[in-house]
Amino acid sequence: MDKLVYGYSGKQLRISLDSGKVSVESINPQVLRKYIGGAGYGARILYDELQKGIDPLSKANKLIFATSPLSLNQIPGGGCVIVCFKSPLTNAWSESKCGSDFGPELKRAGYDAVIIEGRSENPVYIVINDEDIAIKPAEHLTGKSISEKIKMIREELGDQKISVMCIGPAGEKLVKIAVALSDQRAAGRCGVGAVMGSKNLMGIAVKGSKKVRVAQPERFKEAIKKAMKVVRKNEVAAGFKEHGTTGEMIANDAAGDWPTKNWQSNHWGKAEEIYNEFYNKYLIKNHACYRGCPIACGRVAEVKEGKYKTAVHEGCEYESLSAFTAFVLNENVEAAIQASYLCNEYGIDTISAGAIIAFAMECYEHGVIKKKDIGDLDLSWGNPAALSEMIRLISMREGLGDILAEGVKTASKILGKGSEKFAIHGKGLEAPAHDPRSGKALAVTYGTANRGMCHIHPLEGMAYDSGKFDFGLVKYGLVDPNTIHRWDEKGKGKSVKILQDGLIVPDILSTCKFFLYAGLTIDNYADMLSALTGWEIDGRELLKVGERVINLQRLFNIREGFNRDDDLIPERVRQRPSFGIYQDEPRCVIKDYEGMLNEYYEARGWDLITGKPSKDKLRELGLEEE
Amino acid sequence: MEVKVKLYGILRKYGEGKFDRGDNIIIPEKFPLRDLISYLDIPERLGKICLVNGYPQDVEYKLSEGDEVKILTVLGGG
Repeated sequence: MDKLVYGYSGKQLRISLDSGKVSVESINPQVLRKYIGGAGYGARILYDELQKGIDPLSKANKLIFATSPLSLNQIPGGGCVIVCFKSPLTNAWSESKCGSDFGPELKRAGYDAVIIEGRSENPVYIVINDEDIAIKPAEHLTGKSISEKIKMIREELGDQKISVMCIGPAGEKLVKIAVALSDQRAAGRCGVGAVMGSKNLMGIAVKGSKKVRVAQPERFKEAIKKAMKVVRKNEVAAGFKEHGTTGEMIANDAAGDWPTKNWQSNHWGKAEEIYNEFYNKYLIKNHACYRGCPIACGRVAEVKEGKYKTAVHEGCEYESLSAFTAFVLNENVEAAIQASYLCNEYGIDTISAGAIIAFAMECYEHGVIKKKDIGDLDLSWGNPAALSEMIRLISMREGLGDILAEGVKTASKILGKGSEKFAIHGKGLEAPAHDPRSGKALAVTYGTANRGMCHIHPLEGMAYDSGKFDFGLVKYGLVDPNTIHRWDEKGKGKSVKILQDGLIVPDILSTCKFFLYAGLTIDNYADMLSALTGWEIDGRELLKVGERVINLQRLFNIREGFNRDDDLIPERVRQRPSFGIYQDEPRCVIKDYEGMLNEYYEARGWDLITGKPSKDKLRELGLEEE
Repeated sequence: MEVKVKLYGILRKYGEGKFDRGDNIIIPEKFPLRDLISYLDIPERLGKICLVNGYPQDVEYKLSEGDEVKILTVLGGG
């Protein structure tokens, strides 16, 4: 055929919101083999096209919506899109993944990626329908919740099935933890919603009708069949289907992997009660975020009546339920469900929102925030009534919410009075609901994750240390997790290097990471990718792409001024918990984080002082031009 | 001696036919947790967290009469 690679359209859409100009560009096949797609391709574009030091909320920032050849409904985990941008919350590299049909639809429309740049004078939304691209006025959508916006766009387009991703009022107000939701799934972390808001972009609707060209159709079909068989027989996949991610609360509480009371402890002892109440009283059914998912871990829930009433909605993941219970010491399950629901309507990240409220509660306890500062709201630990009001204040930037909407790092600098030590974040991103004191690899994944202390890249850490998942990486040099102990620090830095290289692959392929829990390995994905593209790519090459992308994202951050100091994790996170069953466990503490970091840097080929990749490493990865 | 055992999440399916009375299992004196896990046919490859009477214990821990044992597996993601 021509120069096009099978599995790709070889085209990207560039939309300038300044001029309204839409152009279709060809993608260099050499770049595709090196970066594949998703967070890999996005990193390449952002590194090349963004100037150092730009304001993430200025029109100089760009949004890259990236897919990969495997962004297909029939691929296990294929229903995802990755949005890449410079984060207004952290000023660092960021990507945000969203599980929905948006990615596969974009691919069917004939585009491997969409680059959105500039800023529209007035609010708009974009419609992508194969070759028909429209930028439509959206003044009437402003101020509406995300579910209302999605409904209105579908009604206007007369198409109930079109995939739509929107921001809420929080994104419009440039709240730095604002999200974009496709149906009820979020591209959640690092403020993608604020970047869309800064561009006056209320939403994007996408639908496609094209078929993907497959290099070896029979082999491709067989590779998918083989992978699906693994998933269908896998007990972890069955567990996710039955209990979703929320089911992990009980074990994590027991394991000391459940940050509680703004990280004062890692155990609360209430998870079993909270989870059982959620499961027995409020859970309606499970839900697949994209058509064809064999796991369907999503939870559909409802609080039918009372003060904390909600609509029937998808929500309450492990992270969100933990954020609105353990983080803030709230035992009221209805209030926690409502908080998660409201975040999705206003359009803010549940993890950061829970973490910010926990931070505010600690500030309140210590007199940094006073009742009069916050409209007479009682911000005592565990007050369920405070949650919905705090979410509203942050989302609408009202009163103290305007400061808190900046995230805990900036808010603590503004509030001062010692509140910095209550601000638990990495690179400015609020910490999620896993605790590295109880599994030390997590400390290094938290510290070195390019987008900050996030919930996705820690999968490499705790899952390895405590869960004993090897993700099929032992053959590539990972130490067998059954031969190490979760309390050990030595050796973890080295393991994290391989884990990160392997576990970034789903981000590069724009697929769901949970399928690596469900028994699939990077070899399965290499098989599917090879049959689809005709490339003959193996697991080892995917690992190398992973390493290349991690280094390129790192270079992006270094260019922005990040260094070794930004790889540190908060002091509280390293110290013995102040209450709970691990309080007297002497091993539940991070003694030598710097030592673990040195070991990691050495494994990576990074300078121990500056944290910069060495010239040899960059040459090895084909990044010597950077 | 007799101990009370509760399995969680995906571990619930293990231990079929090994329980003697309700949640109770009869085991020899000073039986280590490791041996209890193996008696229940819980695969080694799964990461496990064990609480005995509400407190975390390593697999070498030797059980006593009347102990309440909870065995859970950690996924570490989500």
